[in-house]
Amino acid sequence: MRTKTFFLVLALVLSSTASPVWAQQGKSITLSMLAGYKEDVLRASLPEFEKKTGIKVVVDASPFGDLYKKQLLSLSTGGRYDVLFMDEPWIAPLSEFLLPLNERMKSLDLADFVPTTVASGAFQGTQYAVPVDPNVQLLVYRKDLFEQKGLKPPATWDELVAAAKAFHDPSKQQYGIAITASSDIQTALYMLLAIWSYGGELVDNGRGSLNSAAGKKGGEVFLELLKFTPPNVKSYNFADVNKAIQLGQAAMAIQWASGARPMEDKTRSSVAGKLGYTLVPKAVRQTPMRGVWTIAVAKNSANQDAAWQFATWLSGKEFGQAAVKFPSATSAIHSPRFSVLKDAGTKATLPYADTLLASLQITKERPRLREYADIQENLRVTAGKLTAGELTLEAALKEIDAGTNRILGK
Amino acid sequence: MAAGGAGRWFLLPGLAFLFTIDLIPLVYSAWVSFYNWWLIRPRDVRFVGLDNYVRLGVDPEFNRAVVVTTLFTAGAVALEFLAGLGLALLFAQPFRFLRPIRVLLLLPLFVVPVVGATMWRVIFHPEVGVLNHYLTTFGLGHPPWLSDPTWALVSITLVDAWRTIPFMFLVIYAGLEVLPAELFEAAAVDGASAWQSFRHITVPLLTYIMLLAVLIRGMDAFREFDIIFVLTGGGPGTATQTIQILNYRAFGLGHMGQANAIGIVTLVLVAVMCFVLMRAILRPRGAAQA
Repeated sequence: MRTKTFFLVLALVLSSTASPVWAQQGKSITLSMLAGYKEDVLRASLPEFEKKTGIKVVVDASPFGDLYKKQLLSLSTGGRYDVLFMDEPWIAPLSEFLLPLNERMKSLDLADFVPTTVASGAFQGTQYAVPVDPNVQLLVYRKDLFEQKGLKPPATWDELVAAAKAFHDPSKQQYGIAITASSDIQTALYMLLAIWSYGGELVDNGRGSLNSAAGKKGGEVFLELLKFTPPNVKSYNFADVNKAIQLGQAAMAIQWASGARPMEDKTRSSVAGKLGYTLVPKAVRQTPMRGVWTIAVAKNSANQDAAWQFATWLSGKEFGQAAVKFPSATSAIHSPRFSVLKDAGTKATLPYADTLLASLQITKERPRLREYADIQENLRVTAGKLTAGELTLEAALKEIDAGTNRILGK
Repeated sequence: MAAGGAGRWFLLPGLAFLFTIDLIPLVYSAWVSFYNWWLIRPRDVRFVGLDNYVRLGVDPEFNRAVVVTTLFTAGAVALEFLAGLGLALLFAQPFRFLRPIRVLLLLPLFVVPVVGATMWRVIFHPEVGVLNHYLTTFGLGHPPWLSDPTWALVSITLVDAWRTIPFMFLVIYAGLEVLPAELFEAAAVDGASAWQSFRHITVPLLTYIMLLAVLIRGMDAFREFDIIFVLTGGGPGTATQTIQILNYRAFGLGHMGQANAIGIVTLVLVAVMCFVLMRAILRPRGAAQA
């Protein structure tokens, strides 16, 4: 009897101090998730996680434009999310409300993660999120058209402009390059990519610093490219860039890797199998922009252990392998793990896997600042004014810097 | 007297309801607008007095948004009013299939605004949109519906009109249906033309109803968000960036003080708009009666 009591007490103590899998059974966690394709990939694998762990995951999905707003409102008002699927620029602004994960990260096989993807979840030396879906900008080009003209894929911005010009023939509805020039966030990021390549920075020494020689050069190249785009890029968004490639209208596109997957879908793309992928062009440096989707745990969550278990599963090899093989629709989930990205099966499914990995290893991150969401919004609005013709390039760069400085209190 | 006293008590539930759902949030919103409250800095909430309002006053982006909102509201309401009135007059005449056509006309009212706007975004799409496909087929060109600043403003106005002309039609049509037929018969006997009947009988009798419809639509259009957000997101540039788009952005970035200040300014502007409209329409009538 005393032995039974001893083991009972031991079991109770263990269950209250450690958090083995069975301790989480019957728990329910609420996940804030990006709606659409990434949600579909997750939902396809979720029953397996729930069956294995006994943890029920309630998914609250929102479109990209609303996700940060919803997470900010929820976290800052003591809301209901236990675990959050977050774009990496949101980590710094929301770090106040996220659970530091440094200790828990030690349990992961970190050597298997591409190091830059792990850095995407950190802010000021503290790890707040685990990488799930690494994304980076790539240059997509029509291999068949380049071969016909005997051209090599462009490696520099000058070569990119020259190639865009060479393929641009509006009379045949054939355009040089597909990028956005609307008020969409992608427009601002395209411009920033070009400026980065010429050595410019959005924020330098705590101040807005786009209005520089490098900023002007990058901005000029971006505006030059707009001469060789489909006629309506001023209303384009992420999906429209894909459409221009899928319909065979554009010879090239700069697009996030997650957009490349649907371009290879034979049921949706007239150019599937005809595309090549390479690193974004360089000028004085090569700076493919990093945009990793991560998973974080809310600091005020009552189910932190269950949430962490979910986070480790989502960033795990098993989910990564299932995700890269999920049939494509509008976007894709990749994996931050070397073991998945280098896998032969992955390479067969994702023709751009090698370019994705190479880009991730030299990728550049956007400024890690608590105020970054505001800074990027200011960049988006002003880049939209530039492409709409409301501002000249110089005025736009000055306005972006003034906005950045105002946000940073400078 | 006793009945009047008791009657006042019956007002209490309504007043309590109004106080709870209207006044308390309004006062709270006004109170928040005097603070610098950024959700990402929960420990740094400071009273700043009228700072948020002063910043709006000197912010060129906000001032431009007021102009864009006014242009959109005036354009949309004028178009909706004229189309609604025209359709109501047309449907006031008996003709075959009147009832099924009337039902069809009301359909856009039942479409969720975001769904309707998404549908129109596809229709306006430059490459795969059905509208430009047919316009090109008939040699009418392919307007840049959403990518040109002027066309974008026209496009959001047209979509708003598509959605709310049925409302204008419904209100004015209901008013027309209850006008006394004797007046029109008497006018006809006296040799009045259709235009004279309309100008001197229909318009005066329908003034209040039309005013009501214009006021409701004016308030709605001034606060329009869904359609603009889905179709253009405020672009290209700031061509369709209305006050509500700015408000949404401020809320989305967690600037609660600024966002509430924009909300309060919107409320004041809508109240002024209603006041001016009512004075402009009702004063001549009151003066004539005096």
